[in-house]
Amino acid sequence: MAEKQEQLRRSVTPWGSYSWGYADVGADIFVALGLVFGAAAGATNVAFLFAGLVYVCVGLAYTELAAAYPVAGGGQYFVMRGLGDLPGFLAGWAVLLDFTIDITLFAWGCVGYLSHLPMLSGLDAGNHPFLHFWVIFALIAGLAILNIRGVRESTAFNGAISAFDVVSELSIVFFGFLFAFRPELLVHAMQTGWPTSFAFMNGISLAIISFVGLESISHAAEETSRPASIVPRTSVALILTILIFALAYSNLALGMQPANPVPLDAAGHAQQFWQFLGAVQNQDKAVAVLASNIPLFGSLAALYVPILGATLLLISSNSGVFGSSRIAYSMSQFRLLPSLFEKVHKKFKTPVISIVTFCGLAVIELIFAAAQGDKGYEFLGDLYAFGAAASYTLVFIALIALRLRDPLTPRSFKIPGNIKVRYNGEDCEIPLLGIVGFVGIFMILIFVLLTHQIGRIAGPSWLVIGFLIYVVYRRRKGLPVFGSQKRDWSSDQIKILRAAGELELMDELTEKLKARGKTPAGPS
Amino acid sequence: MTPFVRSEGYARSKLVTGVLFAVLGVTILVRLATTVGLRFEGIPGYVLGIALVGLCVARFRAFAKRSGP
Repeated sequence: MAEKQEQLRRSVTPWGSYSWGYADVGADIFVALGLVFGAAAGATNVAFLFAGLVYVCVGLAYTELAAAYPVAGGGQYFVMRGLGDLPGFLAGWAVLLDFTIDITLFAWGCVGYLSHLPMLSGLDAGNHPFLHFWVIFALIAGLAILNIRGVRESTAFNGAISAFDVVSELSIVFFGFLFAFRPELLVHAMQTGWPTSFAFMNGISLAIISFVGLESISHAAEETSRPASIVPRTSVALILTILIFALAYSNLALGMQPANPVPLDAAGHAQQFWQFLGAVQNQDKAVAVLASNIPLFGSLAALYVPILGATLLLISSNSGVFGSSRIAYSMSQFRLLPSLFEKVHKKFKTPVISIVTFCGLAVIELIFAAAQGDKGYEFLGDLYAFGAAASYTLVFIALIALRLRDPLTPRSFKIPGNIKVRYNGEDCEIPLLGIVGFVGIFMILIFVLLTHQIGRIAGPSWLVIGFLIYVVYRRRKGLPVFGSQKRDWSSDQIKILRAAGELELMDELTEKLKARGKTPAGPS
Repeated sequence: MTPFVRSEGYARSKLVTGVLFAVLGVTILVRLATTVGLRFEGIPGYVLGIALVGLCVARFRAFAKRSGP
């Protein structure tokens, strides 16, 4: 098994690492664009800019942490290591909320994009809500079965789809700005469509969902050879690409002269193109609607963008199934969740209980979303934003805590802008950009709680339920509830670096520990 | 995939797309500067233009590092 893991670790190349992240985060704009236009209206580009700048800080924090601690647990592991077991559990539990929402939201988006094809227009949520519900249900059930049987799309498939999508999205941006962008329309849209402060905050909190999925950087890090050098390179490229697409689409849509006449709104009034894009019936297929309205290029885009979007969203939905079972497995190994989640199927060797549990939760979320009628898609977006903002907030605190508590672990990449301080007899660095990012993501968390009627109840309720499960489990096992189990993090770190093939960094850490009279346990 | 990603052709193709990014970025910056000027409404577009040019610069720097001594 160890040998097999070793082979997996070496199998992901720089492009594989990039495309793994892109297949996850790159799909988010397909979901977020329509939702943000529906909320932030003429300030959509500013909402994406605010959320995008926060996302750059989050991305840099994940890059530093994933390169220093290349383990698949991601945010949950970083927070547990920096702040202790209970915060680690809460971060992991918030990420689990995101992964289960991911399953439903992206399956919903997949069906939405398919419904943009004339031959599949019957799948539209507004026209046939029951058919729409059952198709999404069938997709979730199908993904659960595939994951139980251990069938996953390969890194090569992810790579090919990502490459095709990057080319496609760039084509939309190039042809859009070339043939349809009018700066004077952008100014007009921003001046006439500027939202209220409440709607703007709502828009910003929804915009963050186009930047969710950075856990995949950590997942890729565990299976990448020499992650300390490869992860920073691929992550920075990924962060910049995603930011560019989000800003490009929002600016383009606000200042676009569409090729086709914009239909009247539901009340029979004339509307601008960006209003049409944010209308409820287009929220789950906004990128396809945008692309098909670009002059000349649009007729070609109308044929393939819905299929590409649906494929990318289905891959992302599948990453929710895979990721939730993986996080639950990691949490149960650290005794944060019952060992039930570690159990694997006798024949297929997959975490069947985790998969069934989280796909079951995804179906419950689908039922709640379907019950909201027109607002179902937004309801899922609300919860997605809450989970992301809550876990990212804790990750920033963990970043700062780890800089102080674990200054010896070599960091091949550091979030820029640091102040040197002396703490516990060691030279440490406080990341200023990390503090800025923390303030930004905390503001977004507040925006979510202020503006999302359901999210402000359902999100914290999810954390409270998780906390109660944690308390019962830890008490039954005789483990501290508010304290942490004792762990030899130095020895663990040496094992992690050795397994990752980062032998120079491992030697550097060993030397530092020896110089301080701390003898780490030998490699196992 | 690995041999292709490591090849000289791949590195050069990234340079070409990098130049395209820069052209698009400069076009957006110039159009905004001439139409919108220094008004608030132009800020997200200016950031986009600068990010596109930045991506091009990052690719040229990576290429120079790769072909350097």
